[in-house]
Amino acid sequence: MTGENILEIKDISVDFDGYCALLHVNVNVKRNTIHFFIGPNGAGKTTLLDIICAKTKSTGGVCMYYPKDGREIKLTGMKEYKIVKEGIGRKFQVPSMFVNLSIMENMMLSLKGHKGVLSSIFYRMSKEEEESINNVLETVGLIDKKDENAGSLAHGQKQWLEIGMQLVQKPEIIMLDEPVAGMGKPETFKTGEILKKIKESCTIIVVEHDMDFVKQIADRVTVLHEGKVLMEGDYESVLADKTVQAVYLGRGGEKNA
Amino acid sequence: MVQFINTIFNGLSLSSIILLTSLGLAITFGLMRVINMAHGEFLMIGAYVTYIVQEIFVKIFPESLFSLYYFAALIAAFAVTFALGALMEHFIISRLYGREIDSLLATWGISIILQQAARSIFGMQGVNVKAPSFLNGGVSIGPCTFSHNRLFILVLVAFCLFIVWFIMYKSDFGKKMRAVMQNRAMAQCMGINSKRVDMITFSLGSGLAGLAGCSVALLGSIDSTVGQNYIVNSFIAVVLGGVGKLIGTVFGSSIIGFASIGIENYTSASIAKAAILIIIIIVLQFRPQGLFTTKSRNLDE
Amino acid sequence: MKIKNQGYNICFAVIILVLAAMPLLLSAGVITSSSFILFLGKCIAFSIVAIGLDLIWGYTGILSLGHGLYFALGGYAMAMYLKLQATNGKVTSFMQTGGFTDLPLIWKPFLCTPLAFALIMLIPVVVSGLVGYFIFKNRVKGVYFSIISQALTWAAYSLFTGLQSYTGGNVGITEMSSVLGSIKGSAHQTNMFIMFYSSLVILVVVYAVSYGLVHTKFGRLLIAIRDGENRTYFSGYKVSTYKNFIYILSAVFAAIAGEIFVNFNGSITPTQMTISYSITMVIWVAVGGRNCLVGGVIGAFLINLCDYNFSSGAMVEIWQYILGAIFVVTILFFKGGLVGIIRDQLPMAIRKVTGKEAG
Repeated sequence: MTGENILEIKDISVDFDGYCALLHVNVNVKRNTIHFFIGPNGAGKTTLLDIICAKTKSTGGVCMYYPKDGREIKLTGMKEYKIVKEGIGRKFQVPSMFVNLSIMENMMLSLKGHKGVLSSIFYRMSKEEEESINNVLETVGLIDKKDENAGSLAHGQKQWLEIGMQLVQKPEIIMLDEPVAGMGKPETFKTGEILKKIKESCTIIVVEHDMDFVKQIADRVTVLHEGKVLMEGDYESVLADKTVQAVYLGRGGEKNA
Repeated sequence: MVQFINTIFNGLSLSSIILLTSLGLAITFGLMRVINMAHGEFLMIGAYVTYIVQEIFVKIFPESLFSLYYFAALIAAFAVTFALGALMEHFIISRLYGREIDSLLATWGISIILQQAARSIFGMQGVNVKAPSFLNGGVSIGPCTFSHNRLFILVLVAFCLFIVWFIMYKSDFGKKMRAVMQNRAMAQCMGINSKRVDMITFSLGSGLAGLAGCSVALLGSIDSTVGQNYIVNSFIAVVLGGVGKLIGTVFGSSIIGFASIGIENYTSASIAKAAILIIIIIVLQFRPQGLFTTKSRNLDE
Repeated sequence: MKIKNQGYNICFAVIILVLAAMPLLLSAGVITSSSFILFLGKCIAFSIVAIGLDLIWGYTGILSLGHGLYFALGGYAMAMYLKLQATNGKVTSFMQTGGFTDLPLIWKPFLCTPLAFALIMLIPVVVSGLVGYFIFKNRVKGVYFSIISQALTWAAYSLFTGLQSYTGGNVGITEMSSVLGSIKGSAHQTNMFIMFYSSLVILVVVYAVSYGLVHTKFGRLLIAIRDGENRTYFSGYKVSTYKNFIYILSAVFAAIAGEIFVNFNGSITPTQMTISYSITMVIWVAVGGRNCLVGGVIGAFLINLCDYNFSSGAMVEIWQYILGAIFVVTILFFKGGLVGIIRDQLPMAIRKVTGKEAG
């Protein structure tokens, strides 16, 4: 059996021309949990996700990834498309799907496998794949719109589509950067319920400001502040912490710009 | 030794010419992110304006004043290209902000029109400008001779560089300019008239092309393709230096200038031209953002 | 969606049928000038480049300002073979001027027909493959790619004009007949017709291959890359390989076009390698309509037909103004080119006039 950590972030630092976005960050993410990163703006949450999926290079430290098959993969130094192929998906803060393709096509491109040039030329979608896409679209409520252009969706629906694109990839880790921004209360709740269901088959890392959402689904919460880990624990213990209240919750009204 | 000094001087001189033609691009491309393919044609217009001013002086003024024509030409070339730049910004470029590749193609259309206009007005044959008398001859230091007109271009470039630097980094307008270029919407919210800033910035870049044309006129005959001969090197100089950095453009131009002279010592001019471009393309593989870069968190840049 | 796509194909089929009828019209005496057929042959070559350019620019969003390079590489390789056929393997006059008494080494493989044809296809693949590999691997994109492709073309142009004794310098390689022998004059009309129809077949094949390609998952990916290159990387695709593949394909199309062009034209000059010639190719695609294969074909024929008719007499000067203006107006107001006007803007205008039923 593989160990209980799926991701180990060891001593990661990032330096943007003298500005330290992250400083010696150590975090372990456990398998099949929903792990939140919270913190005020500029705390380095998004940067941390960038490091994991190789959008940004770290100045020091390593990221280790332990997929189900028992391998040990060093993510640091890997190319982003390879990391995706190994099973780490990412939803960006700004919805970024392919606006000139239909929702169905967006989902098709996110399917696992067939990522090479030749296999994409001779690719035909199998029955199972089509079914799994339809299932996911059903879940996120976009099944009626599947032949529409993704660009025509409303902001909240784009969020759903992006989450759907992650689900259909069947990754081992899903990273979601502000998944419920732009959603109303009922939709936020529904998103939470979906995430709870899928954590049985994968691990979810979320960056989010909405504390109700954190309360609803978080297994573990890491609070970042000025590029450092301030504290880590479950929702209640983090909420009870005095320093956390001081730097973050006390100014809870502040959302990102 | 003499040859070495000559090589250095020739390199310096060529660099200064490339820099002069690149300065305008450093503004329109580097700051405004507009790929003005008609920049070379603005240079051509500057050169033709020099020619026209010279003809006017020959006709109207006594011969003793002839040499002064060049100063009039500098002002006229700048003014004409500045005004044309303003027109072009207003009718075309202003619709293309944020569409870099489209700006490249649309301005190419303008360049076709301007080139044909030059052929219609001045004919296929090149015209020549007579250098003012004070630019004939040269300064001799020991066995080395430095021609006046190349020295003059050096001074002109230094002057233009200083002015551009001052406007960009030291003046109030420069602050507005950089603000608009970095975030147009935000700058508007802060009460900056971004339309005016855009227009003046673009015109300034065009005006610099006109000045470059004025100095290029001293170096050889002027025809409708004169701009095309400089434009490729200028774009490459800006890209090599790092888009948006004035200092980068200075270095980019110098590298191309000195390397061209250096390689030309060993082979023909056209082979040297090919070699230098290929070398730079290879360098850009290692530093795709150019030699002087700013780290940005926005990877979509 | 389906019907619209068929519309493009029908449009293409009509163009092909009209072209196919042209030699028959010449035989029937409706068209009197056989040089018009030669000209149409060149236009077929131009449409092939346009299809290739549309693949990388319209679909993938890579604007190459240097496809003249590949057009000319194909053209020169073909010309080297044809020239040696014409001189029976003897040194040419420009080589003699350059001091060669024996064939230069790079010309020797073109003496052997199979080797020559292998090289004619291989050279563009290797050159574009190398250029694409490094540029795309290092993620040079957008206007940077355009500027570099332009510089590369300029470099190649300097090289070809500089190496006079190998390439004929500014004059290029001239006085050749086609692979089938002479195609000029009424005595060789059969040859000309065979040449014309085989080129037409190549155009159809190129169109069919491209059409098939853009309707696969690969084609969707090209659009994905155009709209969000980074996002495509984060969907697990090695974008650089995709870009390189499509770049090579379009370079090969350009080279094939160059080869056809030489057969009809009888000469190749460095003009075909210039930046302005390369951008003219982009103009065809822009005016006809990017992001739809038939658009490039329409644009190539339309612009070149105008060029052909206006290239003498009073229109010469005015034509250049019109060309420039067409280009500016297309880019500013009609991003979809002619096809876009017919597909989007015209129906919208009609709807407006007839009273906004759809609104």
